[in-house]
Amino acid sequence: MTTHSSKRVYLQPTPVRIWHWLNALGIVTLGLSGAQIRFPEYINLFGSYKAAIELHNTAGILVALSFTFWFFYYTCIARKMTQLYVPSSDDLRHGLLRQSVYYFFNYFRGKPSPHHPTPDNKFNPLQKSAYLAIMFVLMPLVSLSGILLMNIAPLREIVLLIGGLKILVGIHFLLSCAMFAFLFTHLYLATLGKTPLAYFKPMWNGWEEIDEHESETTLESGHHG
Amino acid sequence: MGRKIGFLSLGLAALWLAAPVETAAMDDESCVSCHADAGMVGDAYVIDPLRYDTTAHAGLGCVACHESVTWDHPDDGQPLSRAGCLDCHQDIYEEYAQSGHAQYADCGDCHNPHLVRGPTTISGHDMNRNCAVCHETSGLVRSHGSWLPQAALHLEMLPCISCHSGSENIVISLYLTRRPLHPDSGAPARGLPFELAGYEDLKLLSEQEKISSLIDTDGDGFISLAELRSFNRNRDNRNLRLKGMLTPEIVTHDFGILANRWDCTFCHASGPGAMQTSFVAFPRQDGSFERLAVEKGAVLDVLYGTPDFYIVGATRSATLNYIGLAILAAGLIMPVGHGTLRFLTRKNRR
Repeated sequence: MTTHSSKRVYLQPTPVRIWHWLNALGIVTLGLSGAQIRFPEYINLFGSYKAAIELHNTAGILVALSFTFWFFYYTCIARKMTQLYVPSSDDLRHGLLRQSVYYFFNYFRGKPSPHHPTPDNKFNPLQKSAYLAIMFVLMPLVSLSGILLMNIAPLREIVLLIGGLKILVGIHFLLSCAMFAFLFTHLYLATLGKTPLAYFKPMWNGWEEIDEHESETTLESGHHG
Repeated sequence: MGRKIGFLSLGLAALWLAAPVETAAMDDESCVSCHADAGMVGDAYVIDPLRYDTTAHAGLGCVACHESVTWDHPDDGQPLSRAGCLDCHQDIYEEYAQSGHAQYADCGDCHNPHLVRGPTTISGHDMNRNCAVCHETSGLVRSHGSWLPQAALHLEMLPCISCHSGSENIVISLYLTRRPLHPDSGAPARGLPFELAGYEDLKLLSEQEKISSLIDTDGDGFISLAELRSFNRNRDNRNLRLKGMLTPEIVTHDFGILANRWDCTFCHASGPGAMQTSFVAFPRQDGSFERLAVEKGAVLDVLYGTPDFYIVGATRSATLNYIGLAILAAGLIMPVGHGTLRFLTRKNRR
């Protein structure tokens, strides 16, 4: 049975949206202030070098707290961390390939996405894998290296254990670049909805509109994640 | 009567001639024969000949400043004359007198004339030791911490005079630091902070070779990036680390708070030539330091040139920048590549 009426699904609960936009604001601020900190003779967005440093430190703490909040919410309150972020065996065996074929082939032919998001299965297999790497590897490493760089004198022994300041700075810088490389892709993929803003809306108001024919068996309207 | 006057005149003339001969013959060795012995002259008057002999003042000789000394010293009971610093250093004193410090400290409060050396033959730590006599470190960290991020780190890496005087030619000086030895085992004590390595410690480690041979392995008096890397990667040196400080080569005595030092980019901006000029300073037995020039730009090496020395915004590695750029560019593959195909196939999705 295929109809073209749409259905509203409550996909992004409020705590997740707060976390997401805090994170977004923090990460963009970190990127801009970080660029000024590394290339001060070319970039001056925040008036003074000291302002860039203080903003970078503040945004870094904000993002680290926001990450903690996200982790705590999904692990202890929503209890969906594994379900949402860890690819299932089916995802690994078929899902990754299926989703890749969609993105790199079927999408251009006008075929629908093989993944139908639900509050309990929001991410397609590629998203899951990417978010798993970002949230469980990249974010913690960038945050920890940043915390060390903010406290070099008191945490010097740990810095030495890592191999020295240069290695720490290198890790922080390259992981930050990787974070922004992901951000470019993330922003682009977010425009692949029915309209370019279709995927931005649920992250703003929580609700996503999904074609009935795409969701005939899986969705349960109004379900809170 | 006339003969008596004649003999008296001769005697006086002999005395007059003899006196300067007597003083001139008093060389530094004669002075040190007593003044090197604390037991003989007391702690207040002892001179360490090893350390004194290589100071700029040693070249002048003891008598140049203590000109009233006689062979009867100290039995003559006469207080020894002392030259004033102003006798030679009038220009420095005039500069110093303009500073706020002049009312609190005289030259001798900071400089021991028997140990004083030029800025390129002492360490940044020595420079700060003078300041620390009055300025307690914890208080300095507190006062600087009210505006300066990571104040303790900055104070550790900078001689006070690099910011609080118009001192010039600020270069990167790298000093060997080492783990202190455990009092019981004598082995390097892990967990205790690294401290400046002394001459004796390094002499032992260099197996009685020149201390500089620890890094300058080819002994050419110049430290290449390859030698620095090799030193830093050598597991045998894991208890030695090179610590960098920004030290001035030309010092001034106009102590104060300089307006341009409030701007972090005074140091934290790439480009200043001085930031590329670095030396490794090795301790000598006499307490001074011998500087060996390091290959230009070695502090910019991505990992092993100076693993613990990094001035954010100033000593960034170009190699890392290119790798970072490649990563960012990789992030654009999807938007650009997929986006182009998406645009070209847009009709299929209507």
